[in-house]
Amino acid sequence: MDPRMCRKISSSESLPDAENVEYEVSNIIAPQESEENFLIEGSPEPNSVSWLDDEQIEDLDLNLDQTNLFFHRVDSADIIYRSKKKKCKMVGKYVMGDVLGEGSYGKVKEMLDSESLCRRAVKILKKRKLRRIPNGEQNVQREIQLLRILRHRNVIELVDVMYNDEKQKMYLVMEFCVGVLQDMLESSPGKKFPQRQAHDYFTQLLDGLEYLHGQGVVHKDIKPGNLLLTLDHTLKITDFGVAEALDMFSPEDTCYTGQGSPAFQPPEIANGAEQFSGIKVDIWSSGVTLYNMTTGRYPFEGDNVYRLLEAIGRGEPAPPPAALGPALGALLERMLKRDPALRPTVNEIKRHVWVQATPPLEAGERLVSPRSRRSDELHTSTVIPYLVERHYASAQEYFTERDLRHELGDGGSRTLSTAELSDGESTRQKRRWHSSCGRLPSCRLT
Amino acid sequence: MFNPDINDYQLTSIITECCGGVAVVYSALYKPSNQNVALKRYFVDKTKENAALIQQDILTRKELQHQNILPYLTSFVHGRELYVVSPLMTFGSCRDILDRYFPEGLPELACALILRDVLQALQYLHKQLYIHRSVRASHVLIGADGIARLSGLRSAASLMARGRRTRQLHQLPPPDHDNANLMWLSPELLEQNLKGYDERSDVYSVGVVCCELANGAVPFAEVPTTLMFTEKVRGSRPQLLDCSTFPEPCLDDAEMKSMYNTDSGVGDSADGVSRLRQVYASRKLSDSFHHLSELALQRDPEKRPSATQLLNHAFFKQIRKTDYLPGLLGRVKPIKPDPNDISALLLQQKMSEMEIEKTTEWDF
Repeated sequence: MDPRMCRKISSSESLPDAENVEYEVSNIIAPQESEENFLIEGSPEPNSVSWLDDEQIEDLDLNLDQTNLFFHRVDSADIIYRSKKKKCKMVGKYVMGDVLGEGSYGKVKEMLDSESLCRRAVKILKKRKLRRIPNGEQNVQREIQLLRILRHRNVIELVDVMYNDEKQKMYLVMEFCVGVLQDMLESSPGKKFPQRQAHDYFTQLLDGLEYLHGQGVVHKDIKPGNLLLTLDHTLKITDFGVAEALDMFSPEDTCYTGQGSPAFQPPEIANGAEQFSGIKVDIWSSGVTLYNMTTGRYPFEGDNVYRLLEAIGRGEPAPPPAALGPALGALLERMLKRDPALRPTVNEIKRHVWVQATPPLEAGERLVSPRSRRSDELHTSTVIPYLVERHYASAQEYFTERDLRHELGDGGSRTLSTAELSDGESTRQKRRWHSSCGRLPSCRLT
Repeated sequence: MFNPDINDYQLTSIITECCGGVAVVYSALYKPSNQNVALKRYFVDKTKENAALIQQDILTRKELQHQNILPYLTSFVHGRELYVVSPLMTFGSCRDILDRYFPEGLPELACALILRDVLQALQYLHKQLYIHRSVRASHVLIGADGIARLSGLRSAASLMARGRRTRQLHQLPPPDHDNANLMWLSPELLEQNLKGYDERSDVYSVGVVCCELANGAVPFAEVPTTLMFTEKVRGSRPQLLDCSTFPEPCLDDAEMKSMYNTDSGVGDSADGVSRLRQVYASRKLSDSFHHLSELALQRDPEKRPSATQLLNHAFFKQIRKTDYLPGLLGRVKPIKPDPNDISALLLQQKMSEMEIEKTTEWDF
């Protein structure tokens, strides 16, 4: 193994890059006479130990290079590393994991329900930050109110709400999702999906919208950035911060405020209309979303927000590329009608030819999978390292170079197949946990 | 056919309470044909969301037919409760048998007979594209004929979703009231990553049931849920306890006692522990049994054999045609009408009738 892979730092305080440095050399123990089987299982005799710091080690290296007369042998079991700690933190019954995303209000982290072992995501809202956002607190309250009532396969589920008055933090516990369509688009070739994949997401979006509109809820901020995917590729509409519950007894769906994202706003909002049909706003934004997912472009573009809104206000979208085919082109044109009354309803869209037939996956097209975090394509729970720290803290703190080599050895010689992580770094990390501490007795007796 | 009418059933004893107090199982006599049946009574009001699960359970069982799966006879609503009728499994669940008669585990041959039936049930379920997701001793019921039948289909999931065949699932099964079900679940199921899990997850649970039946205790029962999770993810395998895996403790009996007897008064449990240890240390389970449980408990689902493959394992070669489970479980008493239960049930019924009459207000 390349020694550079584990950064050797003798002063244990300086850890430059928290993300990459997983362990540091704690000490190098160089016994005077090391034979092949000198130390078993890397437990050095204290009296045969001399402690070296980095400079001395460098000196040793220099000696080796220059003269090559003095070969100082260091047994691999005597190079001891100390693993970087991942402090396990609990909020309520949840164990905190890594950050999944960051917004203006605060962070989104992964969590694990320690009782049901269900993976969750938590939106952490800081009151201090919330105050700085226009309508921040109000939007959050509305989001909580709405999500508490809504329950649908394609609408994000709010599982729990917790408050920490001392820290002025609010925790919105939600279903766990692996990715945002926006991120997937950005990481895919041409920043678009194959039609087959876009079709899958779009039909799910329609199901969710149909439910929302049936419940008298207008989302008003539909865009790829607010569409999440679960592990089994179920689409979840999220972020109800600017959503609005319509008056149940009003025959109209009139709304007065629009706070959505500019690129997805319809002409009526761009032109500053005082009131408009809420439902048709969602139809427009879904049209822009579909346009974006299938072409990698936007129907309206502008150098800045004002130019953009001006373009939208004129209401002449860039015609959908002919390559999309006539069916999809026609659907997009209908959804992006300047006059809200001419835009179809969800039901009408569902009956459209393009929606009815699943497009085939063209030759050369590949499905885009959720973007991986830290090159972990399987999106394994990020809580596990914290749990390991919690349960095996003392045992895993030190491990030797020999352990490490042993673990890094060819995949065929694995004694136990632990978590299948594609990422070499984390595989190493995981396997180390295993070798460095013994197994539990299979059955404990009371 | 069984009539969906409470008046045709005479409750004869209380078998068990289950699902965290949401349901009670009674034995009952079906009067028209003088047949013994089991009646599961759900207090639907207490459950809210679980109503869908009960429905799921019934629908799944209606669809399935196999001699090792608990059949569904009928169901009906009476008052505020839902009753589901099944044949009476005279010897109760394997968990009850372990708790009451075999705390140190069942004899190996009995384990073989039960596991074979469970694997046959799973072989069938998997062929029907179902994953059971709740294979545990409490869901394995033994009938008067000595045949083991699998129940607990409320957490079963189909690999046919929305008319499409999916290769794997990703969601946890619906949570039970105390989350105990997690102990039987496979590492890949608990991990909830993009790889997902398939029917081999049930095979892992069979491995856990191997340990449960043979050891009496459920692996991981004494550790926190999160530790159970990390242990499984890191590939730690529960084991069958015998002289090869559980060597004789070096302490002699008296020392053991003093160790566990520090505060007097709890001598019973300490005695129990040392007795259990001795039982484990002095017995020898066959190599094929060890091998079977190891195969089923492999961390990597790809390496795990299917239910069908496990049925061909050498472990089951020890079964003779004449082997009869109730004979091996001699101590176990079958469920019989219990006069105490009957009178209690009658009283309960009277009380509930009285409540209805309680319309007059107290007037001081």
